[in-house]
Amino acid sequence: MNPSPERLGVGIGWRAELDLTVERLPGVDFVEVIAENIRPSALPESLRVLRSRGTPVIPHGVSLGIGGAEPPDHRRLAHLAACAQALASPLVSEHLAFVRAGDLEAGHLLPVPRTREALSVIVQNVRQAQESLPVPLALENVAALFGWPEDELTEAEFLRELVERTGVGLLIDVANLYTSQVNLGLDARAALDTLPLEELAYVHVAGGYARDGVWHDTHTTVIPPDVLDLLAELSARAEPPGVLLEWDADYPSDAVLTAELDRIRAASHAR
Amino acid sequence: MPDDHAVDEPRGPDDRALDERRAPDDRVTEERPAPDEHAADQRRQRLADAQRGLLAALVAGGPLPDGFDPVRLRIEAAGLIAKRRGLVARSAPDLVIRLGPRFAALFTEYAERRPKPPGGSLGDAKAFADWLGLPLNPPPAGRWARFLRRRPIS
Repeated sequence: MNPSPERLGVGIGWRAELDLTVERLPGVDFVEVIAENIRPSALPESLRVLRSRGTPVIPHGVSLGIGGAEPPDHRRLAHLAACAQALASPLVSEHLAFVRAGDLEAGHLLPVPRTREALSVIVQNVRQAQESLPVPLALENVAALFGWPEDELTEAEFLRELVERTGVGLLIDVANLYTSQVNLGLDARAALDTLPLEELAYVHVAGGYARDGVWHDTHTTVIPPDVLDLLAELSARAEPPGVLLEWDADYPSDAVLTAELDRIRAASHAR
Repeated sequence: MPDDHAVDEPRGPDDRALDERRAPDDRVTEERPAPDEHAADQRRQRLADAQRGLLAALVAGGPLPDGFDPVRLRIEAAGLIAKRRGLVARSAPDLVIRLGPRFAALFTEYAERRPKPPGGSLGDAKAFADWLGLPLNPPPAGRWARFLRRRPIS
């Protein structure tokens, strides 16, 4: 299930609010769609237009909770698989996170306890997910506001072990690395040193803002220079197969988005 | 606040109950002998307890588990409510209009000790409307809204 490092280029997260924009923006080589927001049997017209042009579309799941104590839910896996099939996607992506526990839903991506014991559970979860999916799976590092007291590994070490033991691909969100650096004092460059960049499937990049010393990774602003620097730093170590801009609300003009894609293209070719 | 995607229920009925009925043997690869399966189940149980305890503190007013930074967990809990509020506002814009400037404070009051109910954000909106004692008007029809979005602006 090792993802072949398919060349994706520069992309943007497809959102229903941005559908016409994404269709007409120059320089969109690929897109990602939140898997939970589509039905494979009734794809949005805009995604069909993009697919007819040959633009790759990657289903990006946010509710599988592969870092949870329960094995991954087979219905959620079936949905991801159906999305990948309907869109002829090269891969699907999800997060190293838990989103529910027993009867409680977080409604959000929460960091897992990074212990060897939790790792062994999550390795099993990842293997089960891989068996259910028709295409490779890549997992993303999350933006955390807190850590677990029992953490034994950094997120980068945890992901490295997970990649080594399961062959899962990596989706590295440099904005999330930056968020963890600001909020938790975790060195983003040290994380890049540890992460197995040879298994990189693609990269996420996004804007946010600081308030009271806390970085809020809101995906609602232009990419801050520090985050773009991290993208350049990553790209100098390993050329990313793809880099995707996430913008989730307060949508700007087409001109702003085009400029952001240009900034991404320039930074990710930095050597 | 971390990553701001709409983490929401997938469409279709919730099948968590179905999953819980599966035998534990389904959940581990067959290469391991039985004693290891028992150990694996115990590891799952400990992880389940730890995650349940933390989530109860974050979304259901449960006690703070030992060792966590209480300030960070308060920020996280407030962020989770803000995210729910945003998704409810999108699922039920009618409620936002009717409540006006009181929407945010009322939603926070509702959500502080009430975890998100089943049924995704529309389920949350319905539960909020019930708590308020207001009937919930249906959201605009999806097909018509999509058609309008695809019309050229000028």
